[in-house]
Amino acid sequence: MRRQKKPCPITEAGIRFVDYKDDRMLARFITDYGKILPSRLSGVDARHQRQLSRAIKKARYLALLPYVKGLQG
Amino acid sequence: MAKLKIRRNPTRRYEAVYIFDSALDDAVITEKLEKLQGLLSLAAPAELEMWGRRALAYKIGRHENGYYIISKFNAEPKVLPEFERALKLEDGVVRYLVSLLEHELGAPILSEEELAARRARSDDDDDDDED
Repeated sequence: MRRQKKPCPITEAGIRFVDYKDDRMLARFITDYGKILPSRLSGVDARHQRQLSRAIKKARYLALLPYVKGLQG
Repeated sequence: MAKLKIRRNPTRRYEAVYIFDSALDDAVITEKLEKLQGLLSLAAPAELEMWGRRALAYKIGRHENGYYIISKFNAEPKVLPEFERALKLEDGVVRYLVSLLEHELGAPILSEEELAARRARSDDDDDDDED
């Protein structure tokens, strides 16, 4: 029994290189607490997941994305 | 690395993001920016993208907002250490990130038909985990 593979949303959107400055796009791939969403859930392919993970980490450093969301302070 | 190959063009394309203190006047920010970029001794003027003031995702020290500026330029690697030192010492800069400009590497993107073909193929043999 194997679940059908999801199409990669980043490939489908025609994005060649994940940009760390596009915080609104990156925000789709983090959880409610701000963790990076596993590709198992998002369906992102391995190459894009690597780019995504680096981009999210850069965006966090630049305060475009939170390290932890939902906690005040 | 002991010896690097000498390239004809010693410059590399960089991208810098500056977060300035949003309390500063626009004129002061522009002035500081010019002073900092002046350290790079650029052959061609940098490509600037002014994002302006926006809220930070979390507080950095006492700052809740920042003035974002993105700059793309070709510079020689040897000027960077001094440039980053100046950035670190500059009080008006809350945070900065200088990185090599990321661009498309590797295989070109697949067209719609190729994607459809791939999907059809991976439906046939289900053990294939490679795409």
